[in-house]
Amino acid sequence: MSSNLSGASERAGVIEALDDLDEINKLYRERRWSDGLPIVPPTAERVTRMLQHTRRAREEIVARVAPGFGAATIERIAINAVLAGCDPEYLPVLIAATEAVVDPKFNLQGIQATTNPVAVWIIINGPIAQRLQVNATFNCLGEGAWANATIGRALRLILRNVGGALPGDMDRATQGQPGKYTFCCAENEDANPWEPLHVERGFARGSSTVTVVGAEGTMNMNSHSKDAGELMQVFGDTMIHPPSNEYTHGGEPFLMIGPEHAHILKRGGLSKADVQHRLWETSKMRADRMSPNDRARAQDSRRDELGEFRPDTILTIARRPEDIGIMVAGGPGTHTVYVPAFGNSRSVTRAINVEIAD
Amino acid sequence: MAKRGLAAVTICSTAFIMLGRAQASALGNASLPIAVVPHPFGLSSRDEVRQMADKCVDDIVKLVCEAKSG
Repeated sequence: MSSNLSGASERAGVIEALDDLDEINKLYRERRWSDGLPIVPPTAERVTRMLQHTRRAREEIVARVAPGFGAATIERIAINAVLAGCDPEYLPVLIAATEAVVDPKFNLQGIQATTNPVAVWIIINGPIAQRLQVNATFNCLGEGAWANATIGRALRLILRNVGGALPGDMDRATQGQPGKYTFCCAENEDANPWEPLHVERGFARGSSTVTVVGAEGTMNMNSHSKDAGELMQVFGDTMIHPPSNEYTHGGEPFLMIGPEHAHILKRGGLSKADVQHRLWETSKMRADRMSPNDRARAQDSRRDELGEFRPDTILTIARRPEDIGIMVAGGPGTHTVYVPAFGNSRSVTRAINVEIAD
Repeated sequence: MAKRGLAAVTICSTAFIMLGRAQASALGNASLPIAVVPHPFGLSSRDEVRQMADKCVDDIVKLVCEAKSG
């Protein structure tokens, strides 16, 4: 936390309202304080119950959230968590996620205000995922798990209510995407044949973390191949798409590898670093696959790395193989998900500080 | 830059004026001068974009001078 934030006090206001859910939701709709779905009224009692899961002062400012630079106090994070329907035990995840999104390398200003559909994807690692029952298996990006649905929703509410990113105002997304309602899952560490994401990033296996990714969406890859080399080719071919921020800037694409595919790759002798390197190779694309205007943008962005482009210049999807994010999630099935990322952003992982035993 | 006493002007395309105004306000400088260029220009050639820049350069200079004297 930067020094200009410490010590400041910004308490949330209190409004008197009838004890009528319909009326309260009407108020939230009129004031644009919701994401378009009904909310849970953040009564003083509910917010206080949420705050019992941190020792940090309710008025402490965790971050200033772009593009409006509203103060994300502990209390405001808790209020938005209540609005989203979170269990009080989820609060430490949201505090860590808020800290993560304001890391400069995440480029929250760009993510919040862009015309791009980018949403914030939350990946939870470590023992807290099981304790909070964050789904990492069947349908982990779909509906049905309370933690996945409400944690992702709460972060979105923080981004719009505290950050001020209201669609059509400061959120300039041309279309947006469904992931802007909620986009959260855990890594299926039990089914992961390699080290999980947080361990790869230097955290202890027994620690709990949240990772935020600026994600453009999801592209399913259904392959019944049982051969590691074939899978690497199929995945790399699928990742190639010329109108991509990743090829324009050299990005940080993610693969959510299904457990069956992960085990085929492991059985084929590939480490996680091998997978990253093979994908980096198989997803290479000639510059003339891009339209001239798009190629000019890529040229401007990557001149320092690739020099002057020729039509046969080879563009990589990421600047380095290790920038390709790999995590394992999902249930049984022959599916892996390519998650194209925003390009001008790097994912951020933060430890979740669980201060109150529950 | 304005807070540091330097003349500052932001350039926005018409589609981003609201964002520019709201952010200037949020950052405590609601009167930040904003030069506006037409949107979109993603379909324009580089030469057309240069022509667009030539057209608005006088406005930008004027805003910078006003900011400096103000």
